[in-house]
This record gives sequence, C-alpha cells and structure tokens, in this order.
Amino acid sequence: MQTSASHSASLPAAQQAASVHTPGPIRHYGRYLYLAINIAILVFLLAPIAIVVVFALNPTPFIQFPPVGVSLRWFEKFFASRDFMHALGFSLEVAVLTTLSATILGASAALALARGNLPGTRLIVATMLSPLMLPAILTGLALFQTYVLLDVGRPTWGLVAGHTLVTLPYVVRTTLAVLHNFDTRLEEAARNLGASPLRTFFEVTLPLIKPGVLAGAIFAFIVSFDQFPVSLFLVSPGNETLPVTLFNYLKFDLDGTIGAASVVSIVLAFIVVIGLDRTVGLRSYVKL
Amino acid sequence: MSSTATTRLNGLALFILPSALLFALFFFLPIGLMALMSVLTGNPVVMPKVAFTTRHYARMIGDPYYLEVIWTTIRIGLVTTLVALLIGYPLAHWMARIKSRAGHALLLMAVLAPMLTGIVVRTFAWMTLLSDKGVVNQTLMSLGLIAQPLKLMYTETGIVVGLVHIYVPFMVLTLTGVIGRIDERLEQAAENLGASPLRAFLEVTLPLSLPGILAGSLLVFALAISAYVTPILLGGFQIMTLPILIYQQISANFNVGFAAALGIVLLAISLMLVIAYNRALGLVSGQRELQ
Repeated sequence: MQTSASHSASLPAAQQAASVHTPGPIRHYGRYLYLAINIAILVFLLAPIAIVVVFALNPTPFIQFPPVGVSLRWFEKFFASRDFMHALGFSLEVAVLTTLSATILGASAALALARGNLPGTRLIVATMLSPLMLPAILTGLALFQTYVLLDVGRPTWGLVAGHTLVTLPYVVRTTLAVLHNFDTRLEEAARNLGASPLRTFFEVTLPLIKPGVLAGAIFAFIVSFDQFPVSLFLVSPGNETLPVTLFNYLKFDLDGTIGAASVVSIVLAFIVVIGLDRTVGLRSYVKL
Repeated sequence: MSSTATTRLNGLALFILPSALLFALFFFLPIGLMALMSVLTGNPVVMPKVAFTTRHYARMIGDPYYLEVIWTTIRIGLVTTLVALLIGYPLAHWMARIKSRAGHALLLMAVLAPMLTGIVVRTFAWMTLLSDKGVVNQTLMSLGLIAQPLKLMYTETGIVVGLVHIYVPFMVLTLTGVIGRIDERLEQAAENLGASPLRAFLEVTLPLSLPGILAGSLLVFALAISAYVTPILLGGFQIMTLPILIYQQISANFNVGFAAALGIVLLAISLMLVIAYNRALGLVSGQRELQ
C-alpha cells in the first residue's frame, strides 16, 4: 500500500530533474501512445458491461442492435420468476455462510501462521493457497465423487464446504499481508504494560488486522456469489445457485431477462464494493 | 514468519487446526479418492467386485481425440495467458504509477467492475457482441466494411477473447502490486543516465517485474484451463476442452472413472506448471515468498 503515494511525496526533485533533460516530440508521442493503448484496454474491459445494461433495457424479445427503446419488462420478468428468485436467495445464503466460515477459518489460520511459530510455515501457506492454482472444476469433481461415495446426497453444507475451500486462500492472503506489515512492537508494548495475551489480542492485534480480514471476507463473498465450476457439480436440481440458473437459461433462451439478472447482480456487487470502500478503503484491494 | 531461534509453538498455533481439518476432509481426501476412482473398474460402494485397471488412462492415450482435447485446452490456456499479459501489463503499469488518488480509484473501479459482474454474465455479453447478428458484425456491416458476418463465435478466437476479458483483472491486480513496489527512482536514474523511457522500462522495470509476470501468468493459465462456461457458450460445443469433457462424462455418461482420469490429467498439468513456476521464480528472484 505504501506504493505510489509515498514515492510521489518524496520525489518532486528527481522528477523535475528527469523532465528537464528530455521533453522532445518523441517522448510526447510515446506518452500519447501509452495513454491510447490504456484507454483502448479500458474500453475492452468496460464495453461488454455497458452492452449488458443496454440489452436489459431494450424491449425487443430478441437481442437487437442498435436498441429500439427503453423498457423495464425484463426486470419485471426476472423479479416475477420463481426460479430466478429462488436461485438469488440460495446464492445469497451460500455466499453468506461461505463468507462466515472462510473468514473465521482463514483469519485464524493466518494468525497461527504469522504468530504461532509453526514449523514448515512456507509449505503450509503454499498448501492453503493451492486451491487458487488448481482448476476449480477439479475441486467440484473431487467433492462430487466423495459425496457420491459417502452417499450423503448434495447437501447445502457440502456446497458451502466447497466454496469455503476456494475462498479461504483470499482471506489467508489478505490477512497474512496485514500481519506481516504491522509492527509487532505494538503487541510487545501492550504486554509490557501488563495486558494479558487475550486482552492484547482483542485490543491490539484484532483491530490492526481488521482491514485485511474484511478485504478477504468481501473477496470471499464475491467469489462465492459468482462461483461456477465448484457449484456445477454440487448443486441439486431445484436448488441451484444464480450463476448455474443463468447458465442453464442461457443455453436455451437469449432474451433480456439475462440482461436484467446481470444488472441486478452488478448492482449487488457494487453495493458490496461501496461497503468495502466505506469500511477498509479500496486501496487495500490492490495488494491482493 | 519470523524464524527466530526460539521456535516454541505457542497457543496461536492451534488456530491452524480448523483449516487443517477442512483441507484434510474436503481437499486431500477427495483428490485422493479421485485418484483412486481413476484406477478402479467401478464404484466400490455400489459394485461388490471392483478391480484395479489402467483402462481409463489407456483409453485417453490410445485415442487421438482425447489427446487433441488435452492439447486444445493447453493451447487455449497459453494463448489466453499471453494475451492477458499483453493487455494487462500496460494497465497495471498505469495503475501503479498514476499520481492522482482519484485517478487511481477510477482505474481500480474499472478493473474491478468486470470482476464483479460474473462469469456467466460476461460470457453472455460476449455472445451479444460476437454472434453473427451481434454488435460487432452489425456495426461493421452497416459501415460497409464487410458484406458477410465474420465468424467470431464458435471459434477458438471467440473463446480466447471471452477468457481474456474474464481473467485479465486477475493479471492486472497481481502485476499492479509488484510494479508498485519497484522503486520509480531506478527508472528515473536510468533516464537521467541517458536511456530513453522505453529503454529504461525494458531494462529496469520489466526485469524487476518478472515475479509478478510469472505469478499473474500462472493464475490466469490455471483459471483458463479450468474454465467451463465460456468455452461452452462461446464455442457452442464445437470446441472441446477438458472441463467440458469431464462434465460430459459425469452428466451424460455417468462414467465417474474416466472423468476421474481426465481430472487427474488436468491436475498433473496444473502441478507441473506450479513446479515450473517455483523453479522460475527461484531463478528470477532468489527466494521471494509465494505471497
């Protein structure tokens, strides 16, 4: 987090020195090229989202471009659909349960790794982060086969366990990052002033790692809410998450309902991000 | 991770236990069972007589179709990673170097917005853009630039475009962290010594950001080879990848053993990559942690 802001504060002299030498037309063209490339990339990133919004508002029953008008009929259809509403509710339920379990497990694991003097810490960290690097569809497949072998059916806790596994790395990573950055002398000072280990933990350690834990929790929520490959194998018919329902709908229908559903989930996600900005500040996202 | 001489476990070490249990029960056990299923003739729970067999692997190696699927998956993964790197690097560089706080927040929003939009939704967006009557073809045709719609969907190109869009934010966020930690004064020193901005970038910033390039590429490759939604919807079942084949084996044929064998191959590809990554990282940066 101590990146560009602190550099720019300490470096005006060096920058001036750099620009004194070298104005020149070539440098300017280079600068424009740099900006043009980056703006093109931003358009590539954002245009599809804008298109989704346009289709959600376009009244025709098929995908049409350019759009012919503005209507909210697809939103009405989406909110009136029992399947979509059930899926939305189930997705939220799974995401909340996943966020709770991943945050509690991940934050405690990070504490143990950073402060517990565990042997083989690096190996444990690598293992805990490995669900990020291994194809998520394998996690889904392997859990599916296990549940079949154990004959437990497809319970909600089984889905939440799968989601927890793939979201836990985010919490471990953001919490570890905060734990590494903060000054352990603060804890020592509290102890020297007579605080018990428990009181030190709750009054010094926990408030200091809160931003990392919260950032991880919000990541966990978003990743779980959008999780597809793990859910694909673990949802049961009639109890599907929103991405799976949207996917099944997309295979047969291509109308504005998908656009409306998309806009709703975009708005939900933005509410979460604004929540993040209010609580921990967006910048903590950068250092993933 | 202080490695002081006094390596005595303290109470906090116990906090690792819940996650350790989660990993044992829901990660190592299932993957072990999957490996076991891949060498069994059937499901030991429902079939009284099961034996060990290598027929699932023999089937894969013996049939060029399956080898082609494996190669297609790797190829799409490699191309996606390369394009995501080429697109992600400039943006990450801009984000790491921009001075204004508001500018930084706006760029961050622009990168996070697609991430928050969801895989299915974004694939849907690309379907509306790339189909024969999609936005791109309609626009080009109304401008008179093409007479026939370009075949953008149901091709590998279409799949790669969709996958790049979905995974480039991961690349950008990984790279931004690494580039942001490179001291800008090194670049300025190179320029003061007479290097052009391009040369300063190529000889100073780029080599120093190699760990980020490796980490971002590994992440994007791992995500791209396990993608299911985008290859199906943008490929329309005409381009087969391992995840599609795996799901098909389960849902259509309920051939759990063969699906498990395909899963083990996908796992092996990913593991080889992680090992290669760690080697490369060791070469690039001595001993930097996989954080």
